[in-house]
Amino acid sequence: MPVDLAREIDVYEGQIELKKHAKIEDKLFGEARLRRGAYGQRYDNGQRHDGLAHRTLPFPTQATKGVETTWDAPGMQRIKIPFGGLNPNQMDVLADVAEEYSDAICHITTRQDVQLHYVHIEDTPDVMRRLASVGITTREACGNSVRNVTACSLAGVCRCEAFDTTPYAKALAYHLLGHPDTQDMGRKFKIAFSGCKTTSCGLTNIHDLGFIAKTWQSNGVTHRGFEVVIGGGLGAVPYDAKLFEATVPEEEIMPLAQAVTRVFARLGEKRNRGRARMKFLIEKIGLEEFRRLVIEERKVLPNDPRWTEYLQDVERYREEPSKPASTLNLANPDPEFEAWRATNVYAQRQSGYVVATVTLPLGDITSWQLRQLADVARKYVGDTVRTTVEQNLVLRWVSEGDLPALYAELKRLDLALGGAGKIEDVVACPGTDTCKLGIANSRGLAAVLHEDLVARQKKGGIDPAVRDLHIKMSGCFNSCGQHHLADIGFYGVSRKIGGATVPHFRVLMGGEWENNGATYGLTIGAVPSKRIPEFIDHVTQKYLANRASGERFKDYCARIGKKALKEMVDAFSAVPPYAVDRTLYSDWRDPREFTISDITTGECAGEVVPQIEFDLQAAEQRNFEAQIHLEQNEFRKADETAYHSMLIAARGLVRTQLWDLPEDPDRIVPEFRTRFYETQLFQSPDAGQYAGGKFALYLLNRHADKDRVFSAEKARHLVEEAQLFIEAAYGYYQRMVEQQAAAKAGFGVTAPVEAEATT
Amino acid sequence: MELHKFGIKFFATNAERIDILKLIPVYHRWIQQKALTDLLIDVADYSHVPGGPGIMLIAHEGNYALDETGHERGVVYYSKQKLTGELSERIALVARKALQAAQLMRADAELEGALQLAGNRLEFFSNDRLVAPNTDAAYAEIEPALRTFLDRLFAGARYTTTRETNPKERLAVRVQADTEVTPETLLARLS
Repeated sequence: MPVDLAREIDVYEGQIELKKHAKIEDKLFGEARLRRGAYGQRYDNGQRHDGLAHRTLPFPTQATKGVETTWDAPGMQRIKIPFGGLNPNQMDVLADVAEEYSDAICHITTRQDVQLHYVHIEDTPDVMRRLASVGITTREACGNSVRNVTACSLAGVCRCEAFDTTPYAKALAYHLLGHPDTQDMGRKFKIAFSGCKTTSCGLTNIHDLGFIAKTWQSNGVTHRGFEVVIGGGLGAVPYDAKLFEATVPEEEIMPLAQAVTRVFARLGEKRNRGRARMKFLIEKIGLEEFRRLVIEERKVLPNDPRWTEYLQDVERYREEPSKPASTLNLANPDPEFEAWRATNVYAQRQSGYVVATVTLPLGDITSWQLRQLADVARKYVGDTVRTTVEQNLVLRWVSEGDLPALYAELKRLDLALGGAGKIEDVVACPGTDTCKLGIANSRGLAAVLHEDLVARQKKGGIDPAVRDLHIKMSGCFNSCGQHHLADIGFYGVSRKIGGATVPHFRVLMGGEWENNGATYGLTIGAVPSKRIPEFIDHVTQKYLANRASGERFKDYCARIGKKALKEMVDAFSAVPPYAVDRTLYSDWRDPREFTISDITTGECAGEVVPQIEFDLQAAEQRNFEAQIHLEQNEFRKADETAYHSMLIAARGLVRTQLWDLPEDPDRIVPEFRTRFYETQLFQSPDAGQYAGGKFALYLLNRHADKDRVFSAEKARHLVEEAQLFIEAAYGYYQRMVEQQAAAKAGFGVTAPVEAEATT
Repeated sequence: MELHKFGIKFFATNAERIDILKLIPVYHRWIQQKALTDLLIDVADYSHVPGGPGIMLIAHEGNYALDETGHERGVVYYSKQKLTGELSERIALVARKALQAAQLMRADAELEGALQLAGNRLEFFSNDRLVAPNTDAAYAEIEPALRTFLDRLFAGARYTTTRETNPKERLAVRVQADTEVTPETLLARLS
């Protein structure tokens, strides 16, 4: 396991221990665990409506792991998979941790992550360590951070891409991971790479920052770069990404991303969580002003050699096939195999190779299947597996002649389901199954539709025009299921009918999946959840009957107009009284009488915890480690660790004024002296000027002691001094917060949180 | 051996007769009625995943399911928290919880008696590769406790054991006893 990953997980485990002993406050621990991908889950406030009444879940401990989040309540662990890339060893470990800590299911999300549900908080460090052993980190999978960097699952093998965006996505993902510029944002930040403008797989239009590959010629040389778009996002009100720059050379993408995140961190909304995404900042200050600020920020960014060093990796990056190219022998075609091949196989631009899609119902794969699939990957394609934004997996670089054998293997694993990207390949977020914000049961509905449509396709076949449609759904308006991009999209709502609550889905029609998700569907009206299958039937029949020759669904919707669409929706909106038919008053595959009272505060918005709080907490953790060294008679280690703990706290303080402060002690200490010691800011009015000054001197003196002779006594003293120094730093920070609050008193109203696409 | 995360599956004999979706309302009712001693939290529906965990009843102490892994339906329970007692007693406790759930399923009117369990066939599995990976050494440590439990469960009747051979899979042992007895009898022997 890489040392830095191991150290991070040790720190996180230390935070868990501190929280168990109530030594960290809820807000801070909540954000700390979110930044490690450990997310809340439905009922984690310890309350659940069981269909009759609200009951308290009597968990063994009363401790909490965040604001109103019960310690023992099961949670979700999100696992970042940059650009969706997986190798068989990683698949094995994902399968194992899903089995041992979750429910033996790996769920693929619409942003190419993997999610495990029902995970206990105390198991998360082990999960993280095992994942880290195969190069997977969960860091910044949730919280106000740069989320998983996504990319086309066909990157490198696509027939229409400008070039392979994989090494760029990978480089940027790891460059920004834990980067100081991304630690103080008011909200999450999503990045996507696309190899072209026309297909859907990159979905740059719905991202905060999107890179679309392009090449150009100059002096006979081909150059690589990207069209850059910014400020896109779904959520309750979707925003299209806007063109930031038509051409950004490849050596500029890292500094540009840093400059954008800096402006966002500095100016983005921090109090009103519902307006904190970057799209709102751009709307507020205007695209031109935002662009100007980013360009100015770019000019003052401290140079970083990594901005261009990664280009050597780009040049070296090659995905090697495991087996030589071959052609498919179609002498004795098997109809089942051919049906699967028609929808699940894509001819790579490299002759003799294809991509095979493994369709996963609702994005779910069992541990056993995933382990077996890892072996299949080893046999046929090696390290070239990817997750997709349609919640599937793809095996790239399949030698075409191997397809029948591969199909047979997938069939043995129950993974040879056809219809990838077709109407039956329904996409759904977790909804009320596990999400704290879910209103209606998107997965229940998706399962019913999926099973019905698969059966229908098997029976007589669905008309190809209908089969090409996409259905996507979310359990609420927050769009994790990307419902805006579907031909027919749904999101969960509720309606009061005669005093009872009825689960409904609002219908959106005419969205566009292609062209990087170029057009968002229009909301038409709401249909009771239980009537959605017959509604889809009706809509698709009308489409078949009335469409012009070759007319796409999106164009058909535009042509017939909203009024006609509304009539279709209204025809299914009636709900019989409870006394006549109770079935509509509960949700799909959940017999409890429907209620929305289980909805609690979502964690996708995270908590806005200023970086200084993390720094002070890290300093405290480091000091605790110094105490352990002391206990083990490792005096020199204890001394150096205590010194380091003061440096962390000092740097945290200085960075409230000077963000670009490196971790070099010779830079930290002079800045601290000038800004906090000499100005007497560090001196607590309560403790008297002498005490505050004395605490600052602990650091200054230790730093000046270049020829230090280490001893047990000195180490013991320094550990104590460091603790006092950190306390003084906390004291200063507390005074600063109070002063700011006093200055702002009477201003600003916190609006309710509107979360957005979570994954 | 400090193994606490493990499970036992009792196989169904009439798997095809069970409409697995009927388990959803049944499990929800169990939560309402606190029908089992564990802290019952929620129901997870994986009926859409072929050969998957089926319909699960998520509890704090462990998970229950009418499991479909390997297309072999059966009632499974696996523990997630630290247990007390010797390993053989811990295994007995886990088996008891699986059998109690099975007994409730068999008696449930909504399921119309569809579930029948084989009283002589089960699978024990470690669900903790860090403590008990699928190795001969780990099995050697577990085996005495497992045999103590099996001798008690089958009341001295002969049984054979077959281990999972794939080292990537969990340490698992299939057990087939010569004599078939009812799950109620098995439960009584463990009580």
